[in-house]
Amino acid sequence: MYIYIQGTGCVSPQETAAGSAFPAAVLPWEGPRLKAWEPDYKQWIDVKLIRRMSRVIKMGVAAAKLSLQEAGVEIPDAIITGTAYGCLDDTGVFLSKMINQQEEMLTPTAFIQSTHNTVAGQIALMLGCHAYNNTFVHKAFSFESALLDSIMILREGRSSSILAGAMDELTNHSFNILSRFDLYKKEPVTHEQLLKSNTHGTVAGEGAACFVLGTEKGPNTKAKLTGLTTLYKPAGKAEISADIAAFLAAHHCSQEEVSLVITGRNGDASGDEWYEYVENTLFAGKPVAGFKHLCGEYPTAASFGMWIGNRILAEQQVPAAAMFKGEAPDQIKKILIYNHHKQTHHSLILLTAC
Amino acid sequence: MEKLMAALKAQIVEQLNLQEVKPEDIGDDQPLFKDGLGLDSIDALEIIVLLQQHYGIRIANPEQGPEIFHSVRTIAEFITAHQTAK
Repeated sequence: MYIYIQGTGCVSPQETAAGSAFPAAVLPWEGPRLKAWEPDYKQWIDVKLIRRMSRVIKMGVAAAKLSLQEAGVEIPDAIITGTAYGCLDDTGVFLSKMINQQEEMLTPTAFIQSTHNTVAGQIALMLGCHAYNNTFVHKAFSFESALLDSIMILREGRSSSILAGAMDELTNHSFNILSRFDLYKKEPVTHEQLLKSNTHGTVAGEGAACFVLGTEKGPNTKAKLTGLTTLYKPAGKAEISADIAAFLAAHHCSQEEVSLVITGRNGDASGDEWYEYVENTLFAGKPVAGFKHLCGEYPTAASFGMWIGNRILAEQQVPAAAMFKGEAPDQIKKILIYNHHKQTHHSLILLTAC
Repeated sequence: MEKLMAALKAQIVEQLNLQEVKPEDIGDDQPLFKDGLGLDSIDALEIIVLLQQHYGIRIANPEQGPEIFHSVRTIAEFITAHQTAK
């Protein structure tokens, strides 16, 4: 059974929500924090509902609506999301009020909107979708877990189209806390320099990407989700290389057949060593693209990687801004997306053009 | 009463984050819920907290809610009656 990507939607620090094509120009950024480029949400969400939604909810709902629109699906058979941080902004509002008001006179809105399942729940409410609704909160495997659940349900034959996606937001508070963990670059860096910066730290990002997955081709289907796997804390680079080779073999794909490798390179020297090793040992001479200079680093950033992978297959060209190494191939049949988060959560996604 | 109603309108717009509504757009006798301003049950809870925070009023009998929260004027009358009773 094949699993097709019937539609995609993405809200990111790039103008990805403006249309289905990859934006013509990169939105430049400075400093260690990338903020999502937010469209006019009123085109998808009733103003009466928007007033209660924090940014991550709006981003998630917009990405979901875009993907459903592209797929031509009104109500999916399931809604499955992944988020590492959940609705941080509302959580912060609620907790701050609890402290400031000595747990008295707490308003319901921030509490209601602060759960991790708020985005998936809100999408279901807006669509009137009473089907399976689930949110995975597994740190940097949240998106991959949502995808895995979708794949399993589709393979069981219980559903024909599933809305799957991931979303994470960065708030001032969370950015300050994450900065104290020494995750981000101290020196100024631009999108053109990040992936080759080879110094300590990366840049923070956020975004939402949704996919309508189905067992049949849709009118706008351009790619199949051929394979997915996760690897937690591999012992070393040699192990990950062996795992990638085994993953490709399990999906009847040789290394030569991979037209393009997309890595989650983020400019952090120690993390990027993994990508460098894999590129040199398994994919020497292969073209390599990157995406985290466009969306920043966050636990569900692989969803942006999958979005860009699908766009590349759809348009049969790699945006110049995404190319990292080698020449973009003329024909793009298979894309391997290799991402890791903080060197612990590694994931592989294989996409095939159709 | 006029001053209280103006203050209430501003507080409702702020507390409920009514982005498309200005305080002066809300009529004194305009129904706040359903077909009027379109508020819902979550908004009712927000208004209950608003009354506690700004006016120190607790609604003892929830069944009075629909009557009290009908419009800005009914809320203002409730506040005034409550404050006079104090």
